[in-house]
Amino acid sequence: MRKVVAIILASAFFAVLLVSFSNIQQADYGEKEYYYQNPINGSYANESVPSHYISNTKNETGAVNAVTAIVVEYRGFDTLGEVTVLFTAATGVSFLLYKTRGGKKRTEANLILKEGSKLVLPFILLTGAYIFIHGHLTPGGGFPGGAVIASGFLLMMLSYPKFFMKERAVSVTESMAGITFAFIGLLGLVFASSFLQNFLPLGDAGYILSAGIIPIIYIAIGFKVGSELSSIADKLKEVQK
Amino acid sequence: MVTPVLMIAIPLLAAFLMPLIKKAHRYFTFSILLLNAILSVLLFAKVYNDGAIYETIAGFSPPVGIYLAVDNLSALLALIINLFATINFVTSKKDFKFSMLYLLGVTGATGIVLTGDIFNMFVFFEITAVASYALVASKKDEKAVEGSIKYMILGSVGSSFMLIGIAIIYSQLKSLNLYDIAARISSMDPKMMWLSFSFLLTGIGVEAELFPLNGWVPDAYEGASSNIASFLSFGPSKASIYAIARLLIIFSMSRTYELALYVGIATLLIGEVAAFMQKNEKRMLAYSSIGQMGLILIAFSLIKDTSYAIPAAFFIIVSHASAKSSLFLISGKKGFGGITSKYVGLAGVLSLIGMPPMAGFWGKWYLLMGIADEKMWAVAAVIIFSAVIEAIYFARYLHKNLGEGESEDLGYSIPAAVMVSVSIVMGILPLIYNMAGGVLNA
Repeated sequence: MRKVVAIILASAFFAVLLVSFSNIQQADYGEKEYYYQNPINGSYANESVPSHYISNTKNETGAVNAVTAIVVEYRGFDTLGEVTVLFTAATGVSFLLYKTRGGKKRTEANLILKEGSKLVLPFILLTGAYIFIHGHLTPGGGFPGGAVIASGFLLMMLSYPKFFMKERAVSVTESMAGITFAFIGLLGLVFASSFLQNFLPLGDAGYILSAGIIPIIYIAIGFKVGSELSSIADKLKEVQK
Repeated sequence: MVTPVLMIAIPLLAAFLMPLIKKAHRYFTFSILLLNAILSVLLFAKVYNDGAIYETIAGFSPPVGIYLAVDNLSALLALIINLFATINFVTSKKDFKFSMLYLLGVTGATGIVLTGDIFNMFVFFEITAVASYALVASKKDEKAVEGSIKYMILGSVGSSFMLIGIAIIYSQLKSLNLYDIAARISSMDPKMMWLSFSFLLTGIGVEAELFPLNGWVPDAYEGASSNIASFLSFGPSKASIYAIARLLIIFSMSRTYELALYVGIATLLIGEVAAFMQKNEKRMLAYSSIGQMGLILIAFSLIKDTSYAIPAAFFIIVSHASAKSSLFLISGKKGFGGITSKYVGLAGVLSLIGMPPMAGFWGKWYLLMGIADEKMWAVAAVIIFSAVIEAIYFARYLHKNLGEGESEDLGYSIPAAVMVSVSIVMGILPLIYNMAGGVLNA
């Protein structure tokens, strides 16, 4: 009975969503001219937010990759928050799960996985580092780069049952990266006028040393995400006695 | 220089720093929380004198970048959250990871209150919710894990609903700024407006303990250790009910206010009746929290109609945050053994059922005044009926506990006494009415 009710409710919900989301397409889904009054200085803007991003990103932030500019500069505060969410989740996992290591016996991985992972690991780490160092130039950035690095460590955990992350090193990396991010934000408050504001020269767009604080923040995020995801995988591997 | 962003940036920096300084983590966390409470006092003084503060982040003016918007009510709420967090933290006896999660949870709740950007609000919701899931489970027994898992499932579904609501608004208005959305919401297709409103209300409603999204509440409060139950009742829930108030002001349609009123009445009635039927003490307190959240929502749903709404909501928030948190703190033992916990129990209950001279009295008084102005007698009858039920079960609670009991743990009852004193002070100083009556501009 409960299942029937649940199915009926779920399909009704689905139908409502389907009808309403199909309406979004029909409604004008694009630019609308509008006048927005800035509550801080009372000035008016007549350009919508997305078109502002498209036309001004390169001049304002020096980054070629507009997505990165939005993630790290325009909405950098959100990114600091998202990094904190991941940090909170990793802390929560290690707070609740950390017990003993070892415990039950695991089957050894086969030869191909063991030798292959040795061969592939350096390239995985290199790719991850490339992705987050070049975040302001090419698609990618700190989050995917960190995830790639964590996947390298996950591969090691799969092929060597006795492989454990060095807990102290991981947590120090994680902390240092987080501190770097928040500290750069505070430096922005000191050297420029607001939190997380760029205070370095923008440089020539398209070069690796450009876009002010974006590469520094993205490298910090890369280290942070990489160490957090690998520590979560490491904690989940441990056995609770 | 007091800027609101420091209240978010400094605790985040401190939380990142915590694994490096493990040893003195309790003093460190305590001093950061205290610093935040002091900052929020200064912030409130500044907002009260100079009017609302808008602070840009990353140097891009609002529709493009993010900004923090602080008015009287949000500064006061930030003060309440950080002050109680500081007092409550005295009872913590766990390791540095607990301190970290606690600090992050408080920061998230502060961020929700201070931010002026809807996606930023979502991010802070995530921080405080994820920290709360872990904190609820911190006792690591079966009940704690059950409460935590229920909370986590409902909470994460709720956050995805909230995200969809934000996405709909962005697809229509191309903006995430609360002020901007409020100014142009009328240009949105009404169907889309209702869709996004219902997604947002459902998403935030999980955290704000609204009916019918509050299935996690009794289990989480029962399973959590007493200082975390206390944290849940002054931190995340208060911040999210404030977020709902901002939402109501943004959408600002008579029908959305009406919907909020009905949800509030249902939450109030069901919470109070369930508390009345409940035998387990912690669960009873949890259901009573649900009822109080309904009362706050009723107050906020009258914002447009009467100027009493904001003071009413503010006093109920103060009364509930201080009284319920202190009752949870002393709920670990059987009965109120010593004089301090007897005082806490009595003062807390008096404030919750709305007796003068406590803060709870002013809350219910202003609420009933506002309702009487609008001549909504049915709502007034519901509130009085629920107050009677509340009085009955709290009388039972006092009768059971005020007699003999286990000897009290002063480490818990003294912080609880400090917390509940806030309720008394705010009851004696109804001058605060003038401050709370300030504009709540979204």
